[in-house]
Amino acid sequence: MASAHLSQDEFFDKLGHLFNHRKGSDHGAIYLTQKRLTYDPSEKSTMAKLFPDLLPNKPLPIIVRATNGKSKRDRSDKDKLSTVVEPHELEAFYVRYADVCKAGMGALKPRDKKKSKAKAKKKKATA
Amino acid sequence: MPYFKTSQEWLDLSVALLEARPSQTRVTAKYSIKPVKPRKADPSSTSADESSSPSDPKPPRGSLVLKTYDPVSGVALKYRTTKAAEVTRLMYAAMGRLGRAQAGVQDVPEETMQDADAVETPQGEQTPTQQTQQQGAAGGGGGGKKKKKGKK
Repeated sequence: MASAHLSQDEFFDKLGHLFNHRKGSDHGAIYLTQKRLTYDPSEKSTMAKLFPDLLPNKPLPIIVRATNGKSKRDRSDKDKLSTVVEPHELEAFYVRYADVCKAGMGALKPRDKKKSKAKAKKKKATA
Repeated sequence: MPYFKTSQEWLDLSVALLEARPSQTRVTAKYSIKPVKPRKADPSSTSADESSSPSDPKPPRGSLVLKTYDPVSGVALKYRTTKAAEVTRLMYAAMGRLGRAQAGVQDVPEETMQDADAVETPQGEQTPTQQTQQQGAAGGGGGGKKKKKGKK
């Protein structure tokens, strides 16, 4: 449950696996969540805890999580990944993130080129 | 909760929500695959936009739903797409933009770029102000968030 955050390399590696796992099946989902990381055990100031939105005088890391959405009765199959992205790593992270997602989301509609071509063909055939 | 028609609209309001509540708001991308139900052959089917030939089994259909959610106020902003062509733009430019907002990193502000240009440009020169503005905008649009695509 309380697994440690992964390094970015590991995260992308496992995220790729998560997507690949989904490729074979005809249903299911993958959830990717990003959020500001405000949890800091060493934080003593109650001000910061009570009014977290007031705090950002310096950039904060964000946490990116990924799961395959298994819970309740399938909990044993649940895969959870998380990684922390420091502010200066954001750009590099999102470049790779988009690549991995692009590669993994294979069930989306490809560009319309083929489709319109096929449609045109069909029209010709029927006409 | 309704979905936004365009990703730009979704992004603009998401950025606004993040500005208002940067610490609680989370952004989720849900990629889901659902099997396509075999449809009965019906020439007068209402959803005629998809070229449907019921004879051949279709591959499962995927969709990507982006959601910005603030658990405190309960605001949820959503955008849904099924097009692979949008993935890179959404996951890189849009999510990156929101990620920077969440991290509290200043987006390359266009105003400062313009100021810098204005300082560099001598007053006496015949530089049309429009041109400087364009330069500023082009320089400030880091992250490709300015890219707008006409789409349905």
